[in-house]
Amino acid sequence: MVTPYAPLRDGIAAYAVQQVGALRAEGHDVEVLSNGPSAAHHHLDLTGLRGIGALAKRVRAYDKVIIQFHPDLFYPHPTTPDKHAAVSAALLAMAKASRHLEIVVHEIDYRLGQRKGLDAFAAKAFWRQVNTIVLHTAAERDDFVTSFGVKPERISLVAHGASFVKRTRADRATARRTLGIAPEAFVFLSIGFIQPHKGFDRAVRAFNGLAEHGCELHIVGSIRVDDPDFASYLGELEGLIETTNGAYLHSGYVSDELFDRWIVAADVVVLPYRNIWSSGVLERAMLYDRRVLLTAVGALAHQVGDRPLVTMVGGDAELMAAMRALIGQSDGDEFVSSPWELGDGDGPLRSRVQDELVARAQIRRGGRSAVSERGALVDRTAAASASRRSAALRRLPPLAPPPAVSGRRGASTFKRLVRRATAWEVDPVIHQVNALRDAVVQAIEEPRP
Amino acid sequence: MTDAQPPVVREGRIGLVPARFGDGMVGGAEIVLHQMAKRLQDRGWDVEILTTTAMNHHTWESELPAGESVSDDGLKVTRFPAVFQQTVERQTLEAAIMAGHPVSIADQQRWINSGMRSPELFHHLLDHGDDYRALIFTPYPSWIAYACSQLLPERSVLWTCLHDEPYAYLELFQPVFTGVAGLLLQTEPEHELAHRVAELGPHALVGCGVEIPQSYDPEGFRKRYGIEGRFLLYAGRREGAKGWEQLLDQLGRATERRDLPFTLVTMGGGDINAPEWFKDKVIDVGFLPDDERDNAFAAADAYIQPSKFEAFSRTVMEAWLAGTLVIANGGSEVVADHCARSGAGLVYEDELELEEALVFLAEAPEAAAEVAANGRAYVLDNYRWEVVLDKVEDALVRWTAV
Repeated sequence: MVTPYAPLRDGIAAYAVQQVGALRAEGHDVEVLSNGPSAAHHHLDLTGLRGIGALAKRVRAYDKVIIQFHPDLFYPHPTTPDKHAAVSAALLAMAKASRHLEIVVHEIDYRLGQRKGLDAFAAKAFWRQVNTIVLHTAAERDDFVTSFGVKPERISLVAHGASFVKRTRADRATARRTLGIAPEAFVFLSIGFIQPHKGFDRAVRAFNGLAEHGCELHIVGSIRVDDPDFASYLGELEGLIETTNGAYLHSGYVSDELFDRWIVAADVVVLPYRNIWSSGVLERAMLYDRRVLLTAVGALAHQVGDRPLVTMVGGDAELMAAMRALIGQSDGDEFVSSPWELGDGDGPLRSRVQDELVARAQIRRGGRSAVSERGALVDRTAAASASRRSAALRRLPPLAPPPAVSGRRGASTFKRLVRRATAWEVDPVIHQVNALRDAVVQAIEEPRP
Repeated sequence: MTDAQPPVVREGRIGLVPARFGDGMVGGAEIVLHQMAKRLQDRGWDVEILTTTAMNHHTWESELPAGESVSDDGLKVTRFPAVFQQTVERQTLEAAIMAGHPVSIADQQRWINSGMRSPELFHHLLDHGDDYRALIFTPYPSWIAYACSQLLPERSVLWTCLHDEPYAYLELFQPVFTGVAGLLLQTEPEHELAHRVAELGPHALVGCGVEIPQSYDPEGFRKRYGIEGRFLLYAGRREGAKGWEQLLDQLGRATERRDLPFTLVTMGGGDINAPEWFKDKVIDVGFLPDDERDNAFAAADAYIQPSKFEAFSRTVMEAWLAGTLVIANGGSEVVADHCARSGAGLVYEDELELEEALVFLAEAPEAAAEVAANGRAYVLDNYRWEVVLDKVEDALVRWTAV
């Protein structure tokens, strides 16, 4: 099995240990190769052509090779279409060298297969060479077939939590005691790596005002890789939590056991993902029969199926309403269910509509001036006013380096080299500019005392 | 009314998992685990030692065959290959951690995974973890304790050996301190430290068992090893982390300044590396059998404990059992606490305090012996194996299930 592996705080590593355990229990002789020193029998830097080449030399020695696939395992970051195509071609060669290759897909970008170009061609060729592709839902299978042209019979569906086992024996009372949570509190939990696409900030915003009803929101996790964007997001989250009564951030290392203990201690697990392929946290929450609120993105709807303890929401407003409904405070619904209650208020209708839509937009992007402590939209005029103040800034798109492309022969390569050589100096500046922009927008839109 | 406890039902296998195991090994925690295993087996438990093929904790070279064997004292031992390759990255990270620099969690993971590992032991527990009622690991910063206790937290008990050292504050170990079945702690200072570094899960202060020698032969020891005159004793690993090199420097200078009458006798492992001008004053007797070790303690004028990182310090107890004064580095809260509570040890915070303690010993041997005499009763009252094992068994039964 080729995979990130324990002891490592990584969802795929935890998944892999459980699958290795299950396979060995069935009597298979399993050896593990990880992408760094670990409890695996072997380790190898798998990134890029050299790593995949080294892997290709080894795979023939095994009757079956199982790869726990995440693009970061093989594809360098950042990458280019040409580089991507080269890595896919190397993976194709590795697949051809394997006697039987099975790939468990943890994340993939389907858009790649739908593009035209060498990178898409190479990716399709690689995936078509794989003997068995393991996905979790029928919808994923359909998307995979459409995007990469893989024969459906090569795709095997395995429930995401099929190999999951409980990692803690703590009961709710013990879990709460050891985590310092009051027995009577109603606890919302958002747990996992702290990254913008996990959307934990949405949970904090939706939670605003629930502390007065005896609720707590705990955000638990850590930054997966040292990335300035992730660090910036963490800072943003810290700022948000500081101003949100009853919300707490536990930023730090979370072991498998501690991860499960948090779930046991929680009443509701909130997963407000902006985008994600599938959710291991959802499966772990199901192990302990915990209620889950999650956003309907990626293939989550298919993963959820008809499980009764899971509520899917479409966006921030619905998330807010669902959280309130769970504690019997559903009066935020007037806002969530979206009737445009414009009434006869002051000013022309158009202005009121305009204010309303601006306010709603502000909330969708995370603004707070329009929302009361109970989550209701209260002051459309103020919200619109705040949004107007920040409009000029928001019109500026986020700063990004210019694409390293050119119609002149050789110029693209030269630009890429320059880009690579200066990235260490330029990227932090870009990051800082964007963070400043976001901070200024937020500051302008904050409600004024 | 009676306080009698219900009899312990000794069901299920106990796996004790030291990183090293075998004769001639220097290492307090590993030796204690060996003694505990033997005594738990004698009390009727099904006991197995799970360890590596290595004996040297610097090189982690495989010296013994992998597989099952039986130790001289009748313990079932299963050994797994140790994997270790010293890398520049590890040395860099180790230096950063020891200097107290902030180290990201990703780097902490790289650090622990760049130390000695045993993938085969890990997978043995992945395959057969259910065969064990409890697994007792030590010490907490070893890869084996870290990785395997996270694999089977509900069965994992830590013979913690927590010191007030940079490792203890690494975020990496928080789940170990908070999430395993239980922590066994040896002293009140260790207990207090544990509460300072983590929101503890189940834990128990059980002490640490010490063997009680039947008799001593100090004169015979002197004769057999050719030792004349008064001497100080150091027993243990001779390495920087134990304060060995600093002790040599301080002792050398103090001896020169005050014309002290002591030689330094040392037993255990590691290079001596004494300064040229002090070499003649250092006598290495190597590894000693248990009875000669006890005789050495009885023959010494004082036992020196220079380490700041002690979770219990078994050697201090052995000195006190032999009626010998202890002079210890006060930087170790644990040993300072022992010295204060027993009334049988002196502590020093710097070179000059060490020097004065030695002058006291040189000039007032009767008074020094009177101080030291308090030590034996302290050990017998608190650290007999019978007392400790009762507490260990109680904790195992409460924390784990068959």
